Amino acid sequence: MTPNAQQLDALQFDLDALKHTIQQQIGEGDARYIKRVMLVQRLSAIAGRILLVLGFVTPWLWLVGVFVLAFAKILDNMEIGHNVLHGQYDWMNDPLLHSKRYEWDIACDSGSWQRTHNFEHHTYTNIIGKDRDFGYGLLRLSNDLSWRVRNLWQGGTYLVLSLLFQWGISYHELAGQRVFSTRKKTERHSQISDAALKKAFFNKGARQLFKDYIFFPLIAGPMFLWVFAGNLLANLIRNLWTSTVIFCGHFTQDVHTFSEAQCKNESRGHWYYRQMLGSSNFSGPTWLHILTGHLSCQIEHHLFPDIPARYYPKIAPEVQKLAKKYGIAYNTGSFIGQYLTVFWRIIRYSFPGGLKTTRS
Amino acid sequence: MNVFLHRLWCSFCLMLGNQDSLIRYLLPIINFMKPNYLPGSFGAKVLSAEIKTQDVLHLHLKVSKRWPGFIAGQHISLTFNRNGRWLSRTFSLCSSTALWQTHRQVKLCCKIQKDGAFTPLLATLKTDDKLNISVASGDFVWQKIPQSTTFIAAGSGITPIAAMLLSQDHWSSPVTLIYRVKDASNAALLSELQTLAAQQPLLSINLSQSHTESAADFASKVASLALTQQYYICGPAPFMQAIHHALITSGVSKDCIHQEQFGLPAPSLSSDDITKIQATFVQAGVAQNILMAKGLSLLQGAEQGGLQASFGCRMGVCFQCVCQKVSGQVRDIRSGLLSGHGEEQIQLCISQPVSELVIQL
Repeated sequence: MTPNAQQLDALQFDLDALKHTIQQQIGEGDARYIKRVMLVQRLSAIAGRILLVLGFVTPWLWLVGVFVLAFAKILDNMEIGHNVLHGQYDWMNDPLLHSKRYEWDIACDSGSWQRTHNFEHHTYTNIIGKDRDFGYGLLRLSNDLSWRVRNLWQGGTYLVLSLLFQWGISYHELAGQRVFSTRKKTERHSQISDAALKKAFFNKGARQLFKDYIFFPLIAGPMFLWVFAGNLLANLIRNLWTSTVIFCGHFTQDVHTFSEAQCKNESRGHWYYRQMLGSSNFSGPTWLHILTGHLSCQIEHHLFPDIPARYYPKIAPEVQKLAKKYGIAYNTGSFIGQYLTVFWRIIRYSFPGGLKTTRS
Repeated sequence: MNVFLHRLWCSFCLMLGNQDSLIRYLLPIINFMKPNYLPGSFGAKVLSAEIKTQDVLHLHLKVSKRWPGFIAGQHISLTFNRNGRWLSRTFSLCSSTALWQTHRQVKLCCKIQKDGAFTPLLATLKTDDKLNISVASGDFVWQKIPQSTTFIAAGSGITPIAAMLLSQDHWSSPVTLIYRVKDASNAALLSELQTLAAQQPLLSINLSQSHTESAADFASKVASLALTQQYYICGPAPFMQAIHHALITSGVSKDCIHQEQFGLPAPSLSSDDITKIQATFVQAGVAQNILMAKGLSLLQGAEQGGLQASFGCRMGVCFQCVCQKVSGQVRDIRSGLLSGHGEEQIQLCISQPVSELVIQL
């Protein structure tokens, strides 16, 4: 049941008030927190790379190194990069932690990410045909999309996408703009030229490849192959982790989708409503929240993408209360439970039919 | 060759850590040991901070040995961290270059704006607090031409002029200081300058108090005093405009007038300035439309619309708020000059909207 316009206005009022109370608290504590996370990130990145080389002492050190480096990359991408690029820490005026300046340890260029993720995905969340993050143009996740033969093997496509996730997101904008396709879009709104997109894509990608697969292995001398393999594994672990977390945020069983018609001239209240229904949370201990960049609280993140992420778990009970007050479903569960529904969804919609997730 | 090597080094650092220098990559670790370290700036320690005359904070700092020094009349930006946020503003130095050369110390006079966002925090500084200062910059310096010179200062505009006078070691021609204040008991740096005048016969001080002499009388007095060959003016924008105008009309050549503006003219509230204009700010890929008054700076407009733009001095000096203007026209608040309509870099803090704008924050 969709709330009426008055209820949506009331919802907006309550959520805006909640946001205001958080904004009042932002300050010293948040700065100290993110700087501490940065410190841990830098120390683990350096330690991880040293441990990979120390594999010649015992391979166990190498194995620890793989996980420490993967941990550093996950922290950089999730709790730092993703959140900083949302502008959550712009108020600090910090030389590093600013959305305009931050660049992360991932193949995707930060500018491209801001356009596709911050703008496209966060504005048009789960609108079929507008939010290309819904299935990434590769997966059919609801009967709102017509079935094609290639959907039969989308389980395999999903596995490949997860393993190469960083390349998927770095290519995302170029795919959307059909940079390498001869079938150009008739109307384009992109502020940036194909040449600039290609340049950013190749520059950033080449830098990341050179670092992990040429530079660090080379300076390790006889440990070349160990370091090469260690970096590859660390990147794969990071890819699987980020992909899994993100899939749990939007593709769980009860997540709704919307049609363009429903969202034409939508109110701020309806936007909030759509964010709540289009996202899903999972519960877990604090360390799990941090490793997901607090995307375990995807609902709160989508409501308030620009407040420091560490507030999301704190305000989740408030948001859940509001959801109840307005009769809006609040989609949460355990990590495993939520993931299983994602997996089922990928399998179910590889075959024709199924449920439509867009409701009238 | 050096440029090439530098660029190569930057690319190397970018490849290693996605930062253009190793220092920036290691900054989180450096900050853990030295929380106040900011790349590109220099450490300074507060020796004393006291309000000697009304509203004016006298800051006495010990500066880092690495700091490259200054020419009397120049300004620095002062940066410190409050509530997790780096804040900075620009102030002119008011002490002599000799004090820096012999003791690595500088002094600043900062007017405390009661409802300001920065200066009230400055007033809370205590002895031994740590600050950061930038390299000195600015071209309001005394060209040492052996000609008679008049300095005209109003309020805290005395600071760069005090530095010039206190730093002068060879007096060859007569110098007059015309110092306009609310009343003499609250004139910043007056006692130091009077001590100097007592030792230096070529320097004379002419004090004008606004409660005994009206602005119009003062301007005509300045014009009638038009005897010397060089003029240096520093004070609030309306004051400088009035004096500049008075001097020009009394026949002083434009080339002989040197001036330093500090602070921006307050946004006027005439009917034209409160008409609203639409500015679209694109931040982190998300566009936000803000309807802002024409009389405000774009920085104020963005902030009133709830956006976080980076900023520093808020008066067009530090270039931290430089952004890409995608389209639309802006006016430079200081000079009144209009920009083009196309893509260009602008400083948010000194730009007012003239037409509808799109700005990339």
